[in-house]
Amino acid sequence: MSETIMKIDHISKFYPGVTALNNVSFEIKKGEVHALCGENGAGKSTLIKCIMGVEKPDEGKVSMNYNGEWIVNANALEAQSHGVFANYQHVNIALDLSIAENYFLGRQPKTKLGMVDWRKMQEDSQKIIDKFEMNVNPNEKIKTLPIAMQAMVTISKISVNDDIRVVIFDEPTALLENEKVDILFKFIAELKERGVSIIYISHRLEEVMDICDTVTVLKDGTYVDTKPISEVTKDSLIAMMVGREMSDIYNIKHQVPGEEILKIENFTDSKHFKNINFSLKKGEILGFVGLVGAGRSEIMRALCGVEKRLSGDVYVKGKKVNIKNPSDAMKYGISFLTEDRRTDGLALQLPIKTNINMNSYEMISKGGVISLKEENNRAEDYSKRVNVKTPSVMQLVGNLSGGNQQKVVIAKLLCCDPDVLIFDEPTVGVDVGAKEEIYKIMEGLTAQGKSIILISSYLPEVMGLSDRLIVMAQGKITGEFAGEELAGLREEDVLKRASIEG
Amino acid sequence: MNHAKKGKNSSLTSVFQKTEFTLGIIIVVLFIVATVGTDNFCTVYNITNLMKQCAIIGVLAVAQTMIIITGGIDISCGAITGLSCMVLALLQRDTDVNFFLTLIIAVVVSVICGLVNGIIVYEFQVPAMIATLGTQTIIYGTVKIISGALTVSGLDQRLLDMGNTNIGGILPVLAIFWVIVSVIIFLVLKFTIFGRNLYVIGSGVEVAKLCGIKVRGMFYTVYAFAGLLYGIAGIMLAARVQSALPTGGEGYEMNAIAAAVIGGASLTGGRGAVAGTILGTILMTLINNAGVQFGLNTHVLSITSGVLIILAVTMDMLKARKKG
Repeated sequence: MSETIMKIDHISKFYPGVTALNNVSFEIKKGEVHALCGENGAGKSTLIKCIMGVEKPDEGKVSMNYNGEWIVNANALEAQSHGVFANYQHVNIALDLSIAENYFLGRQPKTKLGMVDWRKMQEDSQKIIDKFEMNVNPNEKIKTLPIAMQAMVTISKISVNDDIRVVIFDEPTALLENEKVDILFKFIAELKERGVSIIYISHRLEEVMDICDTVTVLKDGTYVDTKPISEVTKDSLIAMMVGREMSDIYNIKHQVPGEEILKIENFTDSKHFKNINFSLKKGEILGFVGLVGAGRSEIMRALCGVEKRLSGDVYVKGKKVNIKNPSDAMKYGISFLTEDRRTDGLALQLPIKTNINMNSYEMISKGGVISLKEENNRAEDYSKRVNVKTPSVMQLVGNLSGGNQQKVVIAKLLCCDPDVLIFDEPTVGVDVGAKEEIYKIMEGLTAQGKSIILISSYLPEVMGLSDRLIVMAQGKITGEFAGEELAGLREEDVLKRASIEG
Repeated sequence: MNHAKKGKNSSLTSVFQKTEFTLGIIIVVLFIVATVGTDNFCTVYNITNLMKQCAIIGVLAVAQTMIIITGGIDISCGAITGLSCMVLALLQRDTDVNFFLTLIIAVVVSVICGLVNGIIVYEFQVPAMIATLGTQTIIYGTVKIISGALTVSGLDQRLLDMGNTNIGGILPVLAIFWVIVSVIIFLVLKFTIFGRNLYVIGSGVEVAKLCGIKVRGMFYTVYAFAGLLYGIAGIMLAARVQSALPTGGEGYEMNAIAAAVIGGASLTGGRGAVAGTILGTILMTLINNAGVQFGLNTHVLSITSGVLIILAVTMDMLKARKKG
């Protein structure tokens, strides 16, 4: 048995009205990959903050074995100087600086004169970029990069440090495409080889089963159990997390697709996609898979008039329509749940009530004057329909958990009574329980005769839910599967199609 | 039963936590202290004067609130007010243009200035602070040029009367303008799609676009509408001062922004309300008015106002942090 590097020792953390952590204890061994599982709100993030020294536990302590001596890190700087690093859930890097500057933030190489040695910084950065197969210029500003690449920068940034002992990954794969996930796993394996301990947090239990050695489960701020990974299964893990058994959560009731409701012909834009044709039937769930950059989201953005396209026609119920902006799209019954709910799906500072209604004020107003009663009724009604957990519809959306925020977005779309719903990565950063609820909502929608386009980078989800699956690579459709063929499809086959060189 | 009780309690605490409640208390206390502590504060003359002092800043502050809700700011509001006032005075002194037409022209000029602000902010993506700082400077220069940097008097008698009339001997006509404007904006913000969309835009322009909100039109409208209110404020200024000064309106922008911010409007956008702004206006004006009655020097009062602004925003930040 290898030695213990970190002891989480009876820690509790209280916030006004909430017990975030309640007497949690477990140990991290040297060189192990230790998964931390639990639903949103289970206390994982608070625990990490305590380990990093960002938050001080109200009771108990987190101590670390530093060269045989037991120490407590009082703040993040101290933790980092003792080789503890964290990769947080929300990308936290300096957006206006370049990749190289971010890598060497606070430890820029110096020339003999004491100035920043830009050349060395660039060369060293290039090495890291090559190692992580990122294929970008180190001088590029972070904010010009796609979000997946930004996430990759924060991950690769860890490797800049010399003395690494404990690394915390909080949902590192939420934003990554499969190929980059493999690179991340290789990095984790390498760290492990060097005797570094990893604390790994992910909602994707398949990953936990694949790469972790030990798993600790938290539920509502309390410790449930720690077990070697060989002694658990995906289902038993879920049962530990939610306190009940959950069989196949992708198993929803499918409808027999009806007549064609939407047809896209010859969609082409300047760089993201070329010659795209597809159609959608009533009551159908049409899945789109592909690596990040395959052009899936861009097609949908062009379809809804968010972005311009060079050519292509849209037919709704057989009639050609001209969609110039998102309000046209809504008029023709197409609603869009965008990939990044925090920046373009929700008004975080505003209450649930406004968020649910903001797409559809015209439906409850006369001459521009809103019926406040209707506004309130609709907010109550739709938030109940999608089961938003909140004491009041006046609650600010920014205070809700990821899953509940996503449900608010869905309620917003439903308010317009659309025929077609486009869901772009609907379950990113959403816990297992809320995921299942979102799938149930999708099931209910198709039963009402609505059609869904589902974009997801998470293969089990998109393969499990779709009636028909379109695979894209580099802006082109490279495969389409339905029926028996889809049922027998393996993830490897899909990945092969998704990585065809254009 | 139990549930209902809980609900009532929580709505009661939310009233106490509101910025408006705190401001109201401070205003009442200040009013009582000034009434007891000085001989001349609670007189008809001074109260009338106090309302007149509030009126112009009050109109500007309400206009400013709308812009701040969208995440913007308008530094040019004092300048446009001064321009409206000067255009009005010059037309009335030097031309035979019909009285009502002079009012309309002054307002139209202000609307155009506001629209230009909106275009610069939206089309060229210039930060509102910088865009309106630019137009402010341009307009101040223009006012000096068209007036020859001299005070213009010789206003129409009807305008002079309007500035001097107090209904019932106590309620100035100027204050009625302020009340009407405030009520209209209150209704717009609370009941109309336009008002609701301002909050959505302030919360995120991308979100607003994806909601099908015509963001360009909204920007144009809100800045032009603010311009319209500045135009009205310019007319009020002419009536109050009984002439047009080449420095008219200078510094008003800071008082207007301060009143909105003290009233709870957030410069990051998405938050602000007319009731708070009205109270903010009253508090700012009251401090100065009562301070003078107490014989405090204006420079000391200037420091007091500054401290108040910082305190108001700090408390707001602390509250937000506690919630988050």
